[in-house]
Amino acid sequence: MTAPVTVDAPPSPLTAERLRLAYDDRVIVDRLSMAIPAGRITVIVGANACGKSTLLRGLARLMKADEGSVLLDGQDIHRRSTRDVATRLGILPQQPIAPEGITVSDLVGRGRHPHQRWHRQFSVDDEAAVMTALDATGTTDLADRAVDELSGGQRQRVWIALALAQGTPLMLLDEPTTFLDLAHQVEVLDLLAHLNETEGRTIVLVLHDLNLACRYAHHLVAMKDGAIVAEGLPAEVITAELVAKVFDLHCHILDDPLTGTPLVLPVPAGHRGAA
Amino acid sequence: MVAPAVAVRRRDRVLVLRSRRLGWSTRVHGRAVVVGLAALACALAVFVWSLAVGDFPIPVGEVIATLFGGGSRSTRFIVETLRLPRGLTALLVGAAFGLSGAIFQRLARNPLASPDIIGVNAGAAAAAVFVIVIVHGTSAQVTFGALAGSILTALAIYLLAYKRGVSGYRLVLVGIGVTAMLGSVTSYLLTRAEIFEAQKAVVWLTGSLNGRGWEHVRPVSLALLVLVPVTIAMARHLRVLELGDDTARGLGLRVERSRSVLLLAATALAAIATASAGPVGFVALVAPQVARRLVGGRSLGLLPAAAFGALLMVAADLVGRRLFAPTELPVGIITAILGAPYLLFLLARANRVGADA
Repeated sequence: MTAPVTVDAPPSPLTAERLRLAYDDRVIVDRLSMAIPAGRITVIVGANACGKSTLLRGLARLMKADEGSVLLDGQDIHRRSTRDVATRLGILPQQPIAPEGITVSDLVGRGRHPHQRWHRQFSVDDEAAVMTALDATGTTDLADRAVDELSGGQRQRVWIALALAQGTPLMLLDEPTTFLDLAHQVEVLDLLAHLNETEGRTIVLVLHDLNLACRYAHHLVAMKDGAIVAEGLPAEVITAELVAKVFDLHCHILDDPLTGTPLVLPVPAGHRGAA
Repeated sequence: MVAPAVAVRRRDRVLVLRSRRLGWSTRVHGRAVVVGLAALACALAVFVWSLAVGDFPIPVGEVIATLFGGGSRSTRFIVETLRLPRGLTALLVGAAFGLSGAIFQRLARNPLASPDIIGVNAGAAAAAVFVIVIVHGTSAQVTFGALAGSILTALAIYLLAYKRGVSGYRLVLVGIGVTAMLGSVTSYLLTRAEIFEAQKAVVWLTGSLNGRGWEHVRPVSLALLVLVPVTIAMARHLRVLELGDDTARGLGLRVERSRSVLLLAATALAAIATASAGPVGFVALVAPQVARRLVGGRSLGLLPAAAFGALLMVAADLVGRRLFAPTELPVGIITAILGAPYLLFLLARANRVGADA
């Protein structure tokens, strides 16, 4: 389905070099190096508490590195002004907070903050970016509704619209499908794949569902205990041995009949002997 | 000269004002403007009325004439020397409390976060009672002590609540703890006081506008003159801060710096207001909530909250003055009678919402 990342691929817009991230004394990510491929969808997977969300926060400069560095377009991300970074890289945290009673268009409009100044609070560009973001996420009809009234799937699309309105070539999303039913998970991922395809945005996702990760990732990163165990094309990365190692799960790997990507089939306890 | 191209967004009821030539643009929330101006008009009407009524009633027409330089010598004395400074102090202190409360509630994302609950007022109270009872200070010294006390308390709360940034939740909890501690300090000081000083201290603690002169008007108006523009300039940051620290950082906001400036402005407003009128309860809590309910979720409602604070304060002071005239009730008693049921309503509602979640 996807071509492998070749040597003459465009340079990575976001890299980590021997990155070490810790909360106080607890080291979560230890000397991790990675390069996010440009114009691709990268999905980070791993068991709970493997450090994938922490890594995403580190890549988005929400956390300072204890050691090593994150380079955005080749420059140390903490050396650049945070507003400057915000025009290049957008981050949607796991549980963003919508103020009580806020409307969809107001919330999405706040994504324009890095482009605004005290004397330029809502330019023609801002308005156009908000309209485009609402349109791309199919939330134009919801523009005047209060965010608290929306369903989980609608709300998630609104948050993605905020990230879109920010207008960054790089988008990082931490588990954008959590708390959504399967139909809405697919809807959100289809939207992100569409944005990647049509606008060439580089997207980095943390996902829980391995099968969906395999379907949507161009580049899959498997993490365990704060380190990368394997990365590359989903078909190359996902093997029964790797899933056993990373998730501590017995499984069979099939070819997805629809997409040809790996399909992970967990083996229930009663069938272990047969497998 | 500047002809901004005014575009009206129909469905949003938001006015977008732009000037292409200056590269300037801003948004105005129609409903916030209407609600704010209506509250301000009411506050001014009650204010003028409060200048008219009293032991020597003066017709409203004559009050207005006096304000614009007319009137007889006696009406000038009664209006300009006796009633005007008190009325103005009420308006300005109310506006300061309202604005301060609105900032605190937005920052903490909690309708219960207001300077009277998170300990700023308790600091002012403990310091003022200390000055009255132990130092036997003058009224100016009491005012200064209250100012210092509230700013030091706010600083202590901020430092105690600091842990990789300040969350609204921790701020409220630490504030409640510090308030309880300072409350016991105040109580202890009162047990050591002579009866006359104790009475003076208790009146101060209730919050009173009795005998306010021009020396009380000046500091509050100066504070508002500086801090209202600061608040308006920071409103843009507050809108992003509300989305949570990670989102705000992701949008390029220097979160700790913006929050510190906003906290400092809100604290200074509450501190000056408290120093001028005593820790008048509930105005900072109730005014932003009323404004928010009427303005809706589209606007931060900072200036409407200030207008409602002014209205609440000037009306409460008028009621306190006239209800049992010639005996005066301190304004703090009236705001408590009005505000306490509202606080109970908020708590009951928060409880229900919490139970649902």
